[in-house]
Amino acid sequence: MSDNSRVRVSIVGVVIVALFASLFARLWFLQMGPEQKLGRVVSTLSTRVIQTESPRGEILDRNGKVLAQDVAAWGVTVARDLGPKTRARVLGQLSEVLGINEKILRANYESDRQSPLMPAIVALRVPLAQQLAIREHREDYPGVNVVGLTIRSYAYDGLASQVLGYVGEIGADQLKQLKSKGYQAGDVVGRDGVEAAYESVLRGKPRRVTVQVDPTGKQIGPPVNVDPGTVGDNVKLTIDIKVQKAAESALAQGILAAHTFQDQSKEAVAVGYKTLQPTGGAVVVLDVHDGSVLAMASNPTYPLSWWVGGISNDHFALLSNAGAQNPLLNRATEGQYAPGSTFKLVPSIALNQYNVLGASTYVNDNGSVRLEGSTFTNDNGTRNGSVNLQRALTVSSDVYFYNAGNDFWKIWQLDPQRGLGIQHVASQLGFGQPTGIELGDAAGRIPDPAWKAAFANANYKSAQAKHEHAIWYPADNIFASVGQGDDFVTPLQLANAYACFANGGTVWTPHVGQVVTNPMTKQVVERYAPKARGKIDIPPYTYSQIAGGFAGAVSDKAGTAYQAFQGLFVPVAGKTGTAQVPGKGPTSLFASYFPVGDPQYAVVAVVEQGGHGAQTAAPIVRQVIESIKNLPPTPIPTRSTGKD
Amino acid sequence: MATITASAGRRRTASDTSLFAHLDLALLTLPIAISALGLLMIFDASRHETALGGLARLYYVERQGVAVVLGLIAMGVTMAIDYRRIRDAWPLVYLAIVPLLVGVVVLGRNHNGAQAWFQVGPFQFQPSEIAKVVVVVAIAGYCHQHRGDLDAWRVGVAVGLTGVVMAIVYAQHDLGTMLVIMVCAAAVLVIAGLKPVHIVVLLLLAASLVGAAVVTGKVHSYQLDRLTSFANQSTPRVPAEDQTPTQFNLGASKAAIASGGFEGAGFGRGLQTKNGFVPEQHTDFIFTAVGEDLGFVGGATLLLLYALLAWRLWRIALLSSDFFGTLVAIGVLAMFAIEVFENVGMTMGIMPITGIPLPFMSYGGSAVITSFIAVGLVLNVHMRRFS
Repeated sequence: MSDNSRVRVSIVGVVIVALFASLFARLWFLQMGPEQKLGRVVSTLSTRVIQTESPRGEILDRNGKVLAQDVAAWGVTVARDLGPKTRARVLGQLSEVLGINEKILRANYESDRQSPLMPAIVALRVPLAQQLAIREHREDYPGVNVVGLTIRSYAYDGLASQVLGYVGEIGADQLKQLKSKGYQAGDVVGRDGVEAAYESVLRGKPRRVTVQVDPTGKQIGPPVNVDPGTVGDNVKLTIDIKVQKAAESALAQGILAAHTFQDQSKEAVAVGYKTLQPTGGAVVVLDVHDGSVLAMASNPTYPLSWWVGGISNDHFALLSNAGAQNPLLNRATEGQYAPGSTFKLVPSIALNQYNVLGASTYVNDNGSVRLEGSTFTNDNGTRNGSVNLQRALTVSSDVYFYNAGNDFWKIWQLDPQRGLGIQHVASQLGFGQPTGIELGDAAGRIPDPAWKAAFANANYKSAQAKHEHAIWYPADNIFASVGQGDDFVTPLQLANAYACFANGGTVWTPHVGQVVTNPMTKQVVERYAPKARGKIDIPPYTYSQIAGGFAGAVSDKAGTAYQAFQGLFVPVAGKTGTAQVPGKGPTSLFASYFPVGDPQYAVVAVVEQGGHGAQTAAPIVRQVIESIKNLPPTPIPTRSTGKD
Repeated sequence: MATITASAGRRRTASDTSLFAHLDLALLTLPIAISALGLLMIFDASRHETALGGLARLYYVERQGVAVVLGLIAMGVTMAIDYRRIRDAWPLVYLAIVPLLVGVVVLGRNHNGAQAWFQVGPFQFQPSEIAKVVVVVAIAGYCHQHRGDLDAWRVGVAVGLTGVVMAIVYAQHDLGTMLVIMVCAAAVLVIAGLKPVHIVVLLLLAASLVGAAVVTGKVHSYQLDRLTSFANQSTPRVPAEDQTPTQFNLGASKAAIASGGFEGAGFGRGLQTKNGFVPEQHTDFIFTAVGEDLGFVGGATLLLLYALLAWRLWRIALLSSDFFGTLVAIGVLAMFAIEVFENVGMTMGIMPITGIPLPFMSYGGSAVITSFIAVGLVLNVHMRRFS
């Protein structure tokens, strides 16, 4: 080594001695000098109350299968106050460490459905190894946190989505109403279905922890105060998830199959060959003895897990786009459809109750009838010959019921009370008003002269027009009796009316809730008692005529649903419906109950633009009945060729 | 007479051919002792962190233990290879690290990120750590090759070799490691015989680079925050919520050390350490745990251990049989000295906050293994000085 180097090494030694000396000196003055009182920094820390929601209660089906529950999950959050460049870098690095496409992380971050007040949850169910990779390199992930969350988990994801409903951040309006109950911004609340209807029992008392935090918001030291809160109560439903699954599957298959059928409406035929374009549908299964809902399907549908951790914008578009046909809508309770011939239950009871046309009276059905100067024809102009009430229901003779509607109209001119018999019976059966189900539902509409006058008054300007459009014409009453014109019902109302007929005249309030239990003590908090809303008198002879007509529709060779139920060894009674909708394909309906002798369940299927009732809705109902009876499902027929 | 014979028998002499006879036991023992203290302090400082994260209490200690064992093995391997073979193969050593360094950056770029590590099973490997030792070996090897003839052109090559590595490390946002590499290379070059005029030119170059980086905004906001926090140190009167995170960090760090006093609060008794007041305490701010729980006695003892380590390294720089050995010993000495000074200095508020670990103490596998390899190199130089 040269002397020069030796000198330089010595100089390095001196520099290092100086460095260590300054460290020793600083340490001495810091620990022994006046700065020792720096320890006071402790007292200037800010405290913060962290309110975390306790787990929501579980939602179970009637056999105790868990449909929705809260589970613990580790999530990764990204702060809202990062600059765009840092954010891009952080998301890129998270993408690398989590193995999730960066676009997905960005979509989660940018989702409008996430709270802008809180750090964005970009990934859920993060495995331990990846959590640690982030924790150990905090400096590489500014604004990133690994947090323990409770999230809603769905064992039967995709089933009963509209019935269960989803949970989401509390809205500004809702917060105003619920603030007195201890809700605060950012809280999760049931937004639809059972989650919303049973919010007060499902929600637990939140856990409130007072902690000291540093300026980055990180907790320091043990909590100052802990209020542990309580877990929410469990809600057991009347839904049978097995039947629910069958109903949703049958409905989806039926809608798919209908796409292969020709649309035989006049408008469609006029432009050439066109297949049906069903846009959705619903199935309802009720226990006729207490109004409990076994299954309630709505299509199109979606998995509830989309909402967990904040729904992405892409998924939200799939729910809210015009072309998506609104999967959020529970068509069973909120969908309002012209009931078509399934409505004939109502005039059938009314004819006998008001003694207008005896059940045994025969009417000649030549395929059409001229009433008050207008011609009314059967669907497709079928001639059914001489029919009484029972036969008219079996073969779905419109002419018979056109006559009934016209007869009521004539009576109405003399005796308005008796002349509105159809409307009265409809009201008694629960049409035109919400059923009272805890999920909430639409009222539907049964037109009568008062409604028509009010409607004209509200929608027309001149006194002349108001007067003209307020007139209750024979056609109004005639169409009302076959479920056309201005009649609107929900699938649930229809099922409830058939359940009422099947049980001999009791109108139950349909319900999905059964028992509320405390998950800790296992004790019953509340039990849902079936509520009868009203009773309608159906004399035995009338009952047997109508029941016979419904049974014939399924089992008589001339019955409209005979083909759809051929080979099924369960005695079913039902009525097909094909409701014309202006500008669209007809609504396909089938309303039924079974077994015929001792009815247990009412089943209704409705498919928007689904064609004939026998064609699309009836095979769906058949599959649902088969599932209740543990029979193998009969495939829903399709037409792959153009020949009909 | 007998005693003289005995002492002469135990004394290591130049004629002794066994390599182990010339092992610097003090230099071998010091890192192990510091690592042992490190494991204890990581246990102490990770109490809050493990509780918040729901981890096993010994999680960090176990992982650090594995790193220490791997480090000892790596040190053994480094010592087994004659350092002169490493010296002659310096271009290979240098070329091996570049693809690794570029690899992490490219991998990061693909994902719009810039992370500085590879995932190896459950561990992350940070090539920038080992790059420190590689730069020392490369520059020392290059200067050894051209000893006594270090003209401007060759200085340029050496600076270039260092600059490439520094640039890649900077691209990983690892400012601290970049500065350590710069100091190591500078120390090696100065000892290698850098002319005073070259020193002045390089200093000016470094200053203008830093100036340009600040002016063009290439320095990240958090880096500026750290620098300004160093300048505007918070007083205890500023409420915690009004401080920037770094100001708070520094305030908490100083408070923890200061509250230790002479004797310290006792192991596991310090309130700020126990309750996680100091962020990153088991990694970069591990010295605060020593300061609070073990007091001036513990802190000074630890600094003394580092001083002894520095002394042994410096001594070997003088004893080395060849120029390369001197340069490597100086490079490693510079590395440890700057790391200890910067790390301990920042916890006490006399240096700006950067992410430089305290050698053998801070939690972090790549750094521990690198430190052991560095010590292994110098031990290698010492034990082969007569062979």
